[in-house]
Amino acid sequence: MLGQVKQKAKEILEKKEADGVLGLRKGLFDVIHPHVFTSPTEIDTLVLEPKWLFAKMARAILREKPQAWRLAVIVRGCDERAIVELVKRNQIDRERLLTIGYACDGDQAKACLCSRPYPQKLDAGSAVEGVDPLADERVKAYLEGDAGKRMEMWVAQLKRCIKCYGCRNSCPICVCVPCKLEDDVWVERGVIPAEMISFQLIRAFHLSDTCVACGACQEACPVGIPLMTLQLSMREALKKDYNYEAGLDANRKSPVLFDFSKEPRPGQAVPDWVDSMGKKP
Amino acid sequence: MAKIGVILCTCFGEIGRVVDLESLKTRLEADPAVDFVTIRDSLCLPGDAARTQALIHERGIGKVILGACSTYGKMEFVRLALAREGTDVRTVRAVDLREGCAWVHGKDPEGASRRAANQIEMEIALLQNRRDSKDVAIRMQQEALVIGAGPAGLSAACGLARLGFKTHLVDRGSAPGGLLNVITKTFPIDEPGPEKIKNLIDETGRNSLIRFYGKTKVSAVKGYAGDFKVSLAGPEGNTALRVGAVVLATGARVLFPQGLFGYGKVKNIITQMEMERRFATGAASCKTAVFVQCVGARNSERPYCSTICCPLSLKNAMRVMDENPGAKAYVLHRDIMTPGSVLEAYYRKALQKGVQFIRFDADRPPEMRGKDQVSGIEVFDTISGVSRTLETDLLVLSTPFIPDPDATALARMLNIPVDKYGFYAEVYPIHPVETRNDGIFICGTARWPVASDQAIAQGEAAAMKAASFLGKEDLSALTMSRVPGGKLGHAVADAAACTGCGNCVAVCPYEACRLQRTGNRSVSRVIKVRCKACGSCVSVCPNGAMQMPEQNYRAVGEMIRRAFREVR
Amino acid sequence: MSAERGNVKILVFACRWCGLIGADGAGRKRIELPASYRVIPVDCAGYVEPDAVIRALASGATGVAVLGCHVGGCRFNDANHPALKRLELLRTLLDTTGIGGRRLLLGFGTAHESHQYAEMIVDFHRELEGLPSMASWLHMAE
Repeated sequence: MLGQVKQKAKEILEKKEADGVLGLRKGLFDVIHPHVFTSPTEIDTLVLEPKWLFAKMARAILREKPQAWRLAVIVRGCDERAIVELVKRNQIDRERLLTIGYACDGDQAKACLCSRPYPQKLDAGSAVEGVDPLADERVKAYLEGDAGKRMEMWVAQLKRCIKCYGCRNSCPICVCVPCKLEDDVWVERGVIPAEMISFQLIRAFHLSDTCVACGACQEACPVGIPLMTLQLSMREALKKDYNYEAGLDANRKSPVLFDFSKEPRPGQAVPDWVDSMGKKP
Repeated sequence: MAKIGVILCTCFGEIGRVVDLESLKTRLEADPAVDFVTIRDSLCLPGDAARTQALIHERGIGKVILGACSTYGKMEFVRLALAREGTDVRTVRAVDLREGCAWVHGKDPEGASRRAANQIEMEIALLQNRRDSKDVAIRMQQEALVIGAGPAGLSAACGLARLGFKTHLVDRGSAPGGLLNVITKTFPIDEPGPEKIKNLIDETGRNSLIRFYGKTKVSAVKGYAGDFKVSLAGPEGNTALRVGAVVLATGARVLFPQGLFGYGKVKNIITQMEMERRFATGAASCKTAVFVQCVGARNSERPYCSTICCPLSLKNAMRVMDENPGAKAYVLHRDIMTPGSVLEAYYRKALQKGVQFIRFDADRPPEMRGKDQVSGIEVFDTISGVSRTLETDLLVLSTPFIPDPDATALARMLNIPVDKYGFYAEVYPIHPVETRNDGIFICGTARWPVASDQAIAQGEAAAMKAASFLGKEDLSALTMSRVPGGKLGHAVADAAACTGCGNCVAVCPYEACRLQRTGNRSVSRVIKVRCKACGSCVSVCPNGAMQMPEQNYRAVGEMIRRAFREVR
Repeated sequence: MSAERGNVKILVFACRWCGLIGADGAGRKRIELPASYRVIPVDCAGYVEPDAVIRALASGATGVAVLGCHVGGCRFNDANHPALKRLELLRTLLDTTGIGGRRLLLGFGTAHESHQYAEMIVDFHRELEGLPSMASWLHMAE
């Protein structure tokens, strides 16, 4: 698979389809780091491991470069989804970006609990079946069962937060400057652990319809909070209600932004009188 | 920071006997943000507004809180009265201590008093943090556009022109008149269709303020109410117009009863329009004519009555009998809808002439008999309780008006709402010819199935509404809306903070947000006149770049913090 | 875990059309309501951002009610549809974390049925009384 990717990358540079290829390089002292390869000979040092997300980096690089400069990015499934979401939000110009997609293997899929371990544009490797995160017992403990017990589990996890902002910084979708999480109207400043309700829920809700389940937040968290799990029920709700999954279609914005005639809930009638307690007509 | 004046009203005890206003006064006077607190017995009686304005003026304060009844009680009235006295009422806020407090917590005066204190302090937070939206004046174009030159459109155009407004009248047909042009006899006096609107058409030709564009469609509409930039596409190319108001009189089309009663498969099963065609070409001879009402209407898909089909069947049934001596005419109906004295008389005329009426139920419709051509129809007569088979050589199906696809496309172009059947939506219930969008008016069958007399009346109404809109010379983005108390403000995006994500563009119900490219980024810009301050853009903005200055997030955040402050 | 009884604090965002007119109507009928709520009037339920609901809960509110116009009755061209969708999605998140989506009341109805709004506030208050306390979420340090 590495061979296929290298081949594709070389071709792109030789044919000048892009001015640079963003991927991982095994450099001096075998240190692995992100790199923009600009000549075919450099491609020999290209590697595909460990898992590294380039979506946000691609955005930053394209902003620095002149309009005519094009970038190719070597992406896994989650990275491609992140790029699609950034394209939707006008953060990346689709015309300036190419992807070289490769599939993750079964072990990686299990490690990430990933339901879609392959990009839609697959150039190397063969897709394996994804894993359903909602079938995992550890995940289920945080999503199902007695609400009181669940609350205790979440509080126990979230109160270890040291407000390093690693989750927000590593998330490929989070690009806002300024960010609400740094505004004292929304989140009390100078408090560790971060105010649990405001910090965690504001962050989680902002990603409700745009999280691509890449796991970057969880991997970045130094105290190991199960952040990806926090998003799962909202992703499920969007799939069930609107048949919507973030990161798949760059032309479909979140259904939550539109009225019921443009983005209906197929099979579900929306009552005229809405009473969430369920008592009104 | 400018201090705030608080005026508490006892409402002659209505508020005073539940809410402890004296303690409230003491508490508020200790707040450094408050300049003075005064308690009055009323704010709404003659002379009260002048007293209030005098007090405000004397203390030299710009921000006032009135703790009194609700907006819908008397506060809107009081604010208007104050405005007339010269107060800037944008910074006069009313807190509901009566309907919303004293009257619902009568048994808990302590709780009511705590609530009152918190609510007033929340309002103080709002006044301390609010900003003013920048207003922009609208140069009201003094011309109007009427789309559709049927009876409704002709009437609207004439109405506007009579008041001195230059009116552009557009129709996709080559001449004005709409559907009436092809009707040879109309109800109730059998005059030809064009006769009904002859006067209007003549006036259109005579009045130089009306310019008619035939075979023309609207290809684009940009701009906003008061200054619509319209592109017309006609046989001589494109025309650009700038108009202040638009009247939609685009009519409707008739449903084809495909698949119903053998239409399209069996001969001599026709629609009412086709019947009209036969009359016009002298091909309407028959021995018997059976008219079936409510075909494709008043069912679960289209649970509405199309208004004209009953009088239409009466007319055509009588005409069949007139033109074919000895012929029989039957009207199979679920109800005969002929409201008003003229149409009721028309119905009796048909009865006296010998038109026969048979009533059927919706869940047991008549069944057509015939293979290559119609031979009869079986109907269960609900009044006699007997099933009858009528021999007939002509079956006419009454189908309803449905929205015209061009009209639907226009609605999308102008971004106006349509009801669930696709007809233009009025502002129900008391603004029947206005839409939710300022400056756009609707009339005729495009709005709802009506006969031509109604269409003409609605056209006049739309013309009047449009004229009164065009007559507003000093309109601005903030005063544009008909909203009581005026529009709150308009949303504004901080260009430095905006990431260009486009959420606001997607969610705005008025398409008032646009993305503009600056350098290598996109930034959102709000078209102030279109914005109605609903706040949807603000609530979907990921980082608060979009704000409503009058109720910005700092204000809301502070209100939330003060909502449940301890009150001893 | 102790219950919220006696400590119920409801923050109500009411749109100034159906929401506030409904509340007004309740006042006119002298329907007795618990004094446990505070109202922030907004022009449209569409203005209520989920972050404000979250902030309210973080500031100690027991529950938040968003009162708007019935689906199809929003005078701002159905701006309440996205609002409803967004807030229902927020309820999902509140459910996941155990805080409980029941703490967010969504009441979108018709203005002249003010007794319905009044009933909603009374029922909501009662429901919140029975919920376990959120104190553990609000205490930061050990």
